[in-house]
Amino acid sequence: MSFVQNFPCFSIVLCMVAGILSTPMKGKQAKNLTLVVVTLVALMSIATLGYVIGTGESYTYMMGRFPAPWGNEIRVGILEALTATVFALVMLFSLLGGMDHVFKDINESKINLYFILVDLLLSSLLAIIYTNDLFTGYVFVEINTIAACGMIMIRESGRSLIAATRYMVMSLIGSGLFLISLAMLYDITGHLLMEDAHEAMIRLTQSGQYEIPLLVIISLLTVGLAIKSGLYPFHSWMPDAYGYSTISSSSILSSLVSKSYIILLIKIFYRVIGFDTIITSKIVNVLFVFGLIGMIMGSVSAIMAKDIYKMIAYSSVAQIGYVYMGIGLATEAGMAAAIFHILTHAITKSLLFLSAKGLNDASGRKRVYPALQGAAFRNPLAGAAFAVGSLSMVGIPMLAGFISKILFATSALGSDPKKVLPTLIVLSVSTILNAVYFLHTVVRIYTPVGEPGEFKGVRIHMAVGAAAALFCLIALNFVLGLYSQPITDLIQQGIQMFA
Amino acid sequence: MTVAYLLGAAILLPILAGFLLLFTQGKWKNRTVKCLFLFLVFVITTIFSVKLMLVGDYQFPLWKLTDTLEVLVRMDHLTRLFLGMTVAAWTLGGVFAFEYMKHEQKEDRYFGFYLIVLGVLIALDHAGNLVTLYLFFELMTLTSLPLVLHNLSHEAVMAGLKYLFYSVAGAFAALFGIFYLYSHGAGSMFAEGGYLADISYTGSQGMTLLVLFLMILGFGTKAGMFPMHGWLPTAHPVAPAPASAVLSGIITKSGVLAIIRVVFYTAGADYLRGTWVQYAWMTLTLITVFMGSMMAYKEQVLKKRLAYSTVSQVSYILFGLSLLNVSGIVGALSHFVFHSVVKNCLFLCAGAVIYKTGKTMVKDLKGIGKEMPITMWCFTLVSVTLVGIPPTSGFVSKWYLATGSLETGMTGYAWAGPIILLLSAMLTAGYLLPVSILAFFPGHQYDYEQVQKREPNLLMLVPMGLFTIAAVVFGIFPGTFMNYLQKIAMTVL
Amino acid sequence: MGPNLWVNVEEIAAVILFGVGFTTLLLHKNMIKKIIGLNIMDTAVYLFLAAMGYIDGRVAPILVNGNTDVNLYINPIPSGLVLTGIVVSVSVTALMLSLTIRLYRKYRSLDIDEILIRMQREELKK
Repeated sequence: MSFVQNFPCFSIVLCMVAGILSTPMKGKQAKNLTLVVVTLVALMSIATLGYVIGTGESYTYMMGRFPAPWGNEIRVGILEALTATVFALVMLFSLLGGMDHVFKDINESKINLYFILVDLLLSSLLAIIYTNDLFTGYVFVEINTIAACGMIMIRESGRSLIAATRYMVMSLIGSGLFLISLAMLYDITGHLLMEDAHEAMIRLTQSGQYEIPLLVIISLLTVGLAIKSGLYPFHSWMPDAYGYSTISSSSILSSLVSKSYIILLIKIFYRVIGFDTIITSKIVNVLFVFGLIGMIMGSVSAIMAKDIYKMIAYSSVAQIGYVYMGIGLATEAGMAAAIFHILTHAITKSLLFLSAKGLNDASGRKRVYPALQGAAFRNPLAGAAFAVGSLSMVGIPMLAGFISKILFATSALGSDPKKVLPTLIVLSVSTILNAVYFLHTVVRIYTPVGEPGEFKGVRIHMAVGAAAALFCLIALNFVLGLYSQPITDLIQQGIQMFA
Repeated sequence: MTVAYLLGAAILLPILAGFLLLFTQGKWKNRTVKCLFLFLVFVITTIFSVKLMLVGDYQFPLWKLTDTLEVLVRMDHLTRLFLGMTVAAWTLGGVFAFEYMKHEQKEDRYFGFYLIVLGVLIALDHAGNLVTLYLFFELMTLTSLPLVLHNLSHEAVMAGLKYLFYSVAGAFAALFGIFYLYSHGAGSMFAEGGYLADISYTGSQGMTLLVLFLMILGFGTKAGMFPMHGWLPTAHPVAPAPASAVLSGIITKSGVLAIIRVVFYTAGADYLRGTWVQYAWMTLTLITVFMGSMMAYKEQVLKKRLAYSTVSQVSYILFGLSLLNVSGIVGALSHFVFHSVVKNCLFLCAGAVIYKTGKTMVKDLKGIGKEMPITMWCFTLVSVTLVGIPPTSGFVSKWYLATGSLETGMTGYAWAGPIILLLSAMLTAGYLLPVSILAFFPGHQYDYEQVQKREPNLLMLVPMGLFTIAAVVFGIFPGTFMNYLQKIAMTVL
Repeated sequence: MGPNLWVNVEEIAAVILFGVGFTTLLLHKNMIKKIIGLNIMDTAVYLFLAAMGYIDGRVAPILVNGNTDVNLYINPIPSGLVLTGIVVSVSVTALMLSLTIRLYRKYRSLDIDEILIRMQREELKK
């Protein structure tokens, strides 16, 4: 057994230990510790990814002393390692990019708590990605929720408290549904480890037993995770939660937390229930329809939003719609497109949130559009970053967003003929709507106030860390746009490893 | 792979120079040095482009986006035609701007983006497949936007947004088609004569026709085709005059280039001939031709009048293409060249008048011909060309267009085409010639005592003069050029 | 259907309870009642799990007198799951309660609609 194989387990444990160690620390120390841990996790994830690509097959890793089918396991394949890598990197950049504001927004005595929550969140994200055990999945989903809720409410303004409450209520409903579906699943399969449950599932479907309970399980499970990831029409908590928390939290929540549930859903679809069963259950069609509606409604709400954070938050609703549409196409290509879009969106949305904060800083901390006019001249880097993020979301070639759009479009054509036309039409319409709000904002931030040629306001220089984070995210966007083939190949291999 | 390096240099040189200017805004102490630097970039780019045009046909991938999507460049006769026109117009417009931009703010930014757009356009002319075309089409829209909203007044920003939204909506309509064609095994390269009729193409015919129509409509947005022409009369007048010149003369034509690539190099004329798409397309172009002329006739602001005239004239080109026969294509391509030359010149003349006198309305131009005789002579000569009075170049292209229309033998349309062209030609005379008449024959009330010479300097006169000479020479000696176009038309059908 | 219904009475009770908890959590305006709903919902799931793991005539899986015969005890895993679940739900409840306390301190209300109205009023004043 190679030493690298321990890395996923190490990363999870390391994050938890860091969380515990941070408890007596001061804010600054906790910050440094967290940054080191996140960087280490990113490096270890890269090493794991390299290892899994090298061997070409996934492996399971026993946690604790009991072997399968009783004990607890994590499983590492290409897809898991890839998502873990991207998530850790995005987490690092989000933290760096919003570090100033963490120290400004949060009461000094509570800063170390914030970093404990970050550590906890990362460990639960990794556990959700890697877990091979359904109930462990549930436990970490709850930990994820708690940590995320803490990250929203730690700002302690009235708005953020209410946002946290709404987030919590919706999340709990989602996890309640998820939990009861797991209980039922355990009931009919008798296993919690994914492989064993899958084998039992195959036996059940072959013998035709428990058809109706299975349908109930699939729908409860899907609805539960869909609520937690904010699929339209369960998105009402998103704008407040993303709009009123400190910027690192917004960025992490929108780009990682909601996506981790989708990853878990995909994993359960493939590894427990079996994708063929999912297709015959028609639940994918439901996801498809809601995905399409979400794509349009999210964009429409974003157009009507009056402040820039809400606009970005509503655009997340639309992007989640894209992902579910990809899943709903019920083909492997569609699934690959959805996963690619998860990565694209993670990178782009964090870029947008961080740069929007930079623009907001340059506009007297006002978030409404008129105040943002000309902000790109006052904070050139944030302006450029916002422009790149917007263009990527709109789908300009050479950027990541274009590749995901083209993947969606091509995978749509390989799917059910009835889905082809709706997909293509909604894809075009939503792209145009995206263009309306994103490009409008870009033009606005590049429109100077006052007389032409006259410069008003103060120039803002971003902190080194924040600037570096923005640069890296821009670069990642171009990398995904220009070198997408290796990544899509990896995703495809990863999906095949699932089956 | 020296061609690749040469091409890279031709594309990157103006783009990098443009970025250099953007980053050193306001730091150039000596304006002459800056202008010399710009001129040098224009000249070197032109030399590179000419060298590329002389290399011979080539086609190679520049970059692989994914295994199936690649950025492909291609050099053929069409590329040469568009590339030559782009570089020439850009250089002359740039020289004109050396003088003109003195009275505008922030000229460094203008020149920066002007150069970037040039690089993008060179790449666009080289596009060898639909994705490459789309890529540079979008980039062109985005980089040319700052030229439109240059003076950043409220009006200019609104016009810029309108330009942006129309263009983006159009491009996405086209993108829809590109998605469709790609996933059915077409669009990964251009080939003369198209290939959708081949067996390997798997799309259904009804759907394919629909997406082709959408693509024509989408790319037609840039060419100002009805019903997506709304941005053009708003965006052109607010831009600085040299920018309106190239917007009108070159950027609208990139829509034409894209449509040619879609119709003749992807779909194939045979695939479309006689279908509803051809009829719908023809109808739209004829509506645009007539409506554009009408609007121009009624318009009182000179630059707006010229913009409406562009709407109408570019649709002549599209009309010629929609005929799907040799005469039509020859007429269209020749009209592309002639109109580019003429409209560049007209906008430059209008710019010179604005620069020297600040007058924008047609009625204020009374007697301007006495003050700026050379400028107005250029204006008059190219106007005559555009109207199409023999033996000018406009006559040649319109002759081909009319012949082409009659050759189609389509009931109704065969005759409707020439009639509308004739009507529009009369309207063209009606909206352009009065400007000259007013300028040179101001009438009894005009006070000749007050005339003062206000002729602009050589930086402005030389580009205008060269355009005028080109327009006249093409009209008198069209033979060789028309044969060349004939050759292109034969290969693509 | 008939006999099955009677055999599965615990499960049916669990599902009904789950529904009650779910609607309370989702629809009730009062924060405390929402939390109660949350607990009913979670408890319903534990009932479901416990009922599934129970085998008639056997005892809880705690070793007595060193007797390790498997057939003596009920399935231990669901019980383990219930224990874990309780831990999770306790922590979630604690978090919700702390949120409620903060909201109450700030807005002097437990009604979520009322809180929203007061917050908007407060923002308008600023």
